[in-house]
Amino acid sequence: MSNTLAIARRELSSFFFSPIAYLVMCGFLMLSGLFFMLTVFATGQPAEMRNLFFWMVWILIIVVPAISMRLVSEELRSGTIESLMTSPISDVQVILGKWLGGLMFFVALLATTLSLVFVLALWSQPDYGPVFTGYLGLILVGGLYMAIGTFASVLTRNQIIAFLLTIFLILLLTVVTYFLPRLLPPEWSAAAYYLNVNEQYDDFSKGLIDTSNFVYFISGIALFLVLAVKALESRKWR
Amino acid sequence: MIRVQNLVKYYGPTLAVDHLDLDVEAGQVVGILGPNGAGKSTTIRILTAFMPPTAGSASVNGHDVLTDSDAVRRSIGYLPESTPLYPEMRVREQLHYFGRLHGLDRTARNRRIGELTEACGLEAILARPIGHLSKGNKQRVGLAQAMLHDPPVLVLDEPTAGLDPTQITEVRKLILRLAESKTILLSTHILPEVEKTCQRVVIINRGRVVAQGEPEELKQRVRSASRVVVDVKAPVEQVKAAFEKIQSVQDVEAYNDQGWTLAAVTARDNVDIREILADAIVENRWSFREMTYETASLEEYFIQITSAANIEAA
Repeated sequence: MSNTLAIARRELSSFFFSPIAYLVMCGFLMLSGLFFMLTVFATGQPAEMRNLFFWMVWILIIVVPAISMRLVSEELRSGTIESLMTSPISDVQVILGKWLGGLMFFVALLATTLSLVFVLALWSQPDYGPVFTGYLGLILVGGLYMAIGTFASVLTRNQIIAFLLTIFLILLLTVVTYFLPRLLPPEWSAAAYYLNVNEQYDDFSKGLIDTSNFVYFISGIALFLVLAVKALESRKWR
Repeated sequence: MIRVQNLVKYYGPTLAVDHLDLDVEAGQVVGILGPNGAGKSTTIRILTAFMPPTAGSASVNGHDVLTDSDAVRRSIGYLPESTPLYPEMRVREQLHYFGRLHGLDRTARNRRIGELTEACGLEAILARPIGHLSKGNKQRVGLAQAMLHDPPVLVLDEPTAGLDPTQITEVRKLILRLAESKTILLSTHILPEVEKTCQRVVIINRGRVVAQGEPEELKQRVRSASRVVVDVKAPVEQVKAAFEKIQSVQDVEAYNDQGWTLAAVTARDNVDIREILADAIVENRWSFREMTYETASLEEYFIQITSAANIEAA
């Protein structure tokens, strides 16, 4: 546990030395602010963040891979993986630490958008229940994308490839599972629909906390973290 | 301390290590020598439990690298090739981080980092980002990092590669100072390195041990005879004729060098022919300005043995 936290802490602090991280931060805040102005902060709109949350789930498709792309691939490229993997720590600790470090940075990034909630509160009386569940859901979506990104970054030492591979895998869970159900027989389309991230997130933005949504995100995170551990193990045998 | 038996490693279809045996006794400094791609780094990576062997066994401090890899990692301080460090971290942070991964608590880390700061001369750079350090300083940080958990065995992969001559001397001194209390296995393709730091040399080529022994011992095994080069003032033919008459001389090569004759004389059976040559020169009343005695270097032996092995394999 302490090893996992040590890796996560190092990962988190190294983000603040990376120009890409600052770019991501700027881009994310700018887009969130823009969508906030366009969809939430307008006369006649209800005082809720739901419309913004809808768009943020889409923004995460770019933001999270940009954070996760360097997690393991940078260690592979620079060779520090050798010092790391010859320390008395396990592959599981490495992967968990990397994922957690990335997620911590993402949560910090997300926390900055609380300023938008503050602005909303200045002009109206928002219902904080759905705001809370909406953010909880975003953390789960971010956690899932971060797990996918961690897996992708074990596969290559090239950050760009890790970035694109992560986006590709996320698109399978968002765009493809959105259009695919229309082409499938009904009994299959329900299953494909279940895999859609946006669909699973929808309840959170409405203020609902459903166990089945939790199961979806937690098992998705677990699946990709296990894949990442396996991929890291298999690197040695090549 | 280190035992490697019948080690085999394939990368896909490529054979990197071919039934390699290696033994390092406690307290020894042993150098692995070999041309690039001979399998040095692969052997080291297997020893440090970074990758598993295809076949054979390796153990460090009595712990097998496959079944007891955690104990192996605790017994070894490892400096990988080209010293990978995190450029954005400060030296102190990097050392604390790896101290934490090795399970040292804060007090232990502070104590060890204090000791190593002194031993490796890091006082001036502790607070600097690693990305701004010179290669020599990075190497010292890498060495300090390898020794954080005070392991009995140090494994150093090309510890002086890419350093300038002053830095090489410094790092070498540091290694020798450490050698008093530790077992050290280091790899290199630089020959003076092993002659100066190692008690035993293992030469590997194409994944196999082709020779091993003390550096001196290996030098004596060189079959090429010693040569004496003399520079005398006399016609080439006369010099050649005079030297060839001497019984223990095997071969004479002579060239004209602006009135002087430069003769390279090879002796039979490694006999020291300097005195005999000097007598011959005096006898002929030649002027004489230089005599050099060339013994075979480890370098020659290395070239001889690795190229012989290449021919064998081809």
